[in-house]
Amino acid sequence: MFLSLLSLTTVAQKVVELPMASTKIVVKIAFENGSMSDPVGKEGLTNLTAAVLTETGSDQYTKSEIDDLLYPMAAQYRAFTDKEMTTFTFEVHKDFLNEFYTIFRSLLLNPSFAERDFSRVKSNTEVYVKEVIKASSDEDFSKMALESRLFAGTRYAHMKRGSINGLANITREDVVNHYKAFFTRNNVTIGIAGDYPATFLETLKADINSLPDTQPEVPELGEVPMPDGIQVQLVTKPDNLGTAIFTGYPISINRASADWPAMLVVNSYLGEHRKSYSKLYQLIRETRSMNYGDYTYIEWYEAGGSNQLPLTGFPRSQNYLAIWIRPVQTAYSLKSQYPELGDIKIGHAHFAMRMALNEIDRVKSEGLTSEEFELTRQFLRSYMKLYIQSPERQLGFLMDSQFYGMENYIAEMDAKLASLTLEEVNAAAAKYLQTENMYITMITDTNEAEPLKKSLMTNAPSPMSYSNIIRESLPESVFEADKKVEAYPMNVKKVAIEAPASLFVD
Amino acid sequence: MRNYLVACMAVLLLAVGCTPQPDTPKEEGVFPYPIQQTQLDNGLNVVTVPYNSPGLASFFIVVRVGSRDEVEEGKTGFAHFFEHMMFRGTDKYSKAEYSEALKAIGAAANANTWWDRTVYHMTGNAEMLDKMFELEADRFMNLKYSEEDFKVEAGAVKGEYTKSYTSPYMKLYEKTYNTAFTTHTYSHTTIGYWEDVVDMPNQYDYSLEFFDRYYRPEYCTVLVVGDVTSDKVNDLARKYFGEWQRGTFTQEITQEPEQTETRFAHVQEANFPPILNLNYKGPGFSVENKDMAILDIISSLAFSQKSDIYKKLVVEEQKVRELSAGGLNTVDPGLWSVDAMLVDKADMAYVKSEIDKVLQDLKTNPVDSIQLTQTKSFIKYSYAMGIDNPSDIANSLSWYIWLTGNPADVNKAYANYEAVTAEDIMRVANKYFVDEHLTVATISPDEELQVSEELNIKL
Repeated sequence: MFLSLLSLTTVAQKVVELPMASTKIVVKIAFENGSMSDPVGKEGLTNLTAAVLTETGSDQYTKSEIDDLLYPMAAQYRAFTDKEMTTFTFEVHKDFLNEFYTIFRSLLLNPSFAERDFSRVKSNTEVYVKEVIKASSDEDFSKMALESRLFAGTRYAHMKRGSINGLANITREDVVNHYKAFFTRNNVTIGIAGDYPATFLETLKADINSLPDTQPEVPELGEVPMPDGIQVQLVTKPDNLGTAIFTGYPISINRASADWPAMLVVNSYLGEHRKSYSKLYQLIRETRSMNYGDYTYIEWYEAGGSNQLPLTGFPRSQNYLAIWIRPVQTAYSLKSQYPELGDIKIGHAHFAMRMALNEIDRVKSEGLTSEEFELTRQFLRSYMKLYIQSPERQLGFLMDSQFYGMENYIAEMDAKLASLTLEEVNAAAAKYLQTENMYITMITDTNEAEPLKKSLMTNAPSPMSYSNIIRESLPESVFEADKKVEAYPMNVKKVAIEAPASLFVD
Repeated sequence: MRNYLVACMAVLLLAVGCTPQPDTPKEEGVFPYPIQQTQLDNGLNVVTVPYNSPGLASFFIVVRVGSRDEVEEGKTGFAHFFEHMMFRGTDKYSKAEYSEALKAIGAAANANTWWDRTVYHMTGNAEMLDKMFELEADRFMNLKYSEEDFKVEAGAVKGEYTKSYTSPYMKLYEKTYNTAFTTHTYSHTTIGYWEDVVDMPNQYDYSLEFFDRYYRPEYCTVLVVGDVTSDKVNDLARKYFGEWQRGTFTQEITQEPEQTETRFAHVQEANFPPILNLNYKGPGFSVENKDMAILDIISSLAFSQKSDIYKKLVVEEQKVRELSAGGLNTVDPGLWSVDAMLVDKADMAYVKSEIDKVLQDLKTNPVDSIQLTQTKSFIKYSYAMGIDNPSDIANSLSWYIWLTGNPADVNKAYANYEAVTAEDIMRVANKYFVDEHLTVATISPDEELQVSEELNIKL
């Protein structure tokens, strides 16, 4: 990997090079400009600008002409916007590099943002925010709803795709102006991987350097305050089989922080993404058969429902510690399956939440054992290398490293994990884990909301309602542990019941 | 243009990204790396693809059993459930010890089940290959779980169903296959019917039978891609799987009778964009028969962003948000579908008529030869661009392992695309795009009867 800071006429150009023997050329053009740059009242503008760019034409070609030209090449380009970064990625076979780039260049430098393309992409985005996200996945819905509360009052709050009213206010002219003001030569990093000619990179750099010279004015994020107690949001849907749960509280560290490697170990031990050996998964899914999986996070994990390994392009300066409890059964579902549970009013959500918090309390106070630490460290040092198993992934992680002022996040973490101590890990657990203050969002069944609210607000015991067939199969030790967990005191200060239509409006 | 594309193809075949073993000839075709295969005496296929990924290897076991094999009443979803049970331990490694050993390997390991197969996969440190073989062979040969563990695991499957079923797409998918197939086991989706999922804890004895039937060497292929040699892989296969006993079970799957009228599957859903899917009965996958390759060409040529209908309905008129077409490669005849997400439910009949026009046109008019050549290029380059790491390479070969039993058939499958002619397209369009073989599937805020009347479908 080469990192070059080339002095051009007026600006140092940031370039990450990854030359390798591969017939596929991957190029990433990353702008330090994400949804936090959206103007107030036009939430979604940055994402929409990037999305329209990938669906429009240029001064030379219409969108359909581009589709025609690229078709035999099977070349792809896409945009990905997060809170603080927007990345354009294109992947093309080396046979077509120059031919493809001629087209892509005109798009990047002189996009037409045709009204027809703008209106189509805007309409698709609006229907996503208004309907699709709320109907198609309770899990993704709960995550977006949680972030809008955790970051309320900051420019991180709204979904990157925007809000219903924000999108409605955006005009084509807004997109044109936003592109000129926020996608400039002054906030861009170029990344390239593959067997590319040196002359191609020179052309690419010269072109990127001809983007507008404006200095983007990205607003400050501001402070993200810790919530007062546990604040719960229950979003209701009729006849819902499951309750999807996502929680979070702000933490002050990111990939560049001294405590990050220690928290990687704590997080992996507690709830490594999609891994059966972490504690929450063992307690909630493996032992008690309550759901499909249970994980924790110290940074955003894009599209976790469909990805086993983390993606790139979402570096954030502000993180939160999250617990993702995949849908547990509602009373509506359990009552329909088991006559012996015919009288229950709430399903497994309250108990599952208590089980997770109880375990976090335990790890905060007891820490990991030496064996647990060694095994988790060994796992991470091998597993994190899989994050970069393709050229595109290698390039993405190197570019994200830049955001944090690091050269190579994966390599640096490996070195730091190697010298990490148990004491550092347990000190980090004690410092960053807590269960007193957090936001919780649950997408649940309409008829469950009021009883669940009452149960949460009064800290009523929530005994686990096993079906007879599961109860017969569990050892006594499980019921003993459950007895303690069912009365675990949660510091709930507020429970709000909301309809899906009330979310993502502003 | 045509000569240019042919020249490009020649270059493509020489794709780099790996260092082929100097003494291993590579079969001609789209797959750019040598595929080395051997079969153990017990029937286990062992496939190695050396690939230049220093320190990294993907280890797959493909079992040719899936929800297609769930012929018994009340057992839908069982192949998938059994995949879960495979993580529940053996005499040598208890559930907890297996979990710990897996964590120590530090691999990305998981499994998934579909109509025709179950795939177990691990990608990790190539130096841990011996341990990967040991762990996998132990559970494939000696799986042992208690009845209690069996009952408890069923809840996780229920959780998986619950997380997915909120989606209207999922509801439509389930209903579409249940409507299109009346006899064949493709009538139920891989996760199974809810009532069967709920009943799974009661099926312990059947689970033992299931393991005994299918988790046998003749149903399985071990596939290793990455920083390995075939000598090493074959030695490890013999060492760890050599004693595995061949089984005797074979399953006859009752084939679907010919459909004789248009069918209709509907999900009524407010606050969701209207969906229109036209699902035609297609062929089963075969490299000896070009029909599936021809349908793939049609999917791309007639319904991709390059197509006239896409430009009209999506880009210009903006009556459709998304439009695509495609068929799943399945062992037995499955469905080939055109899928549209609409802006306004009032356009349902119009959009259907526009799709119908395209399908009719394919029956009577030969496609443009340049477009056909470009489509072949698109398909070939799409494949070439998607195989630049061990996991993706193994995944791409696993398709042919479960469909035909031979990963090298990838080359025949892509050769079939090259051979498709305009006449082939007319023949296949006439053969498959038949109203009597169609299942229309919709999502709309309106009731089933109203939508069916708008689309002129008899219920």
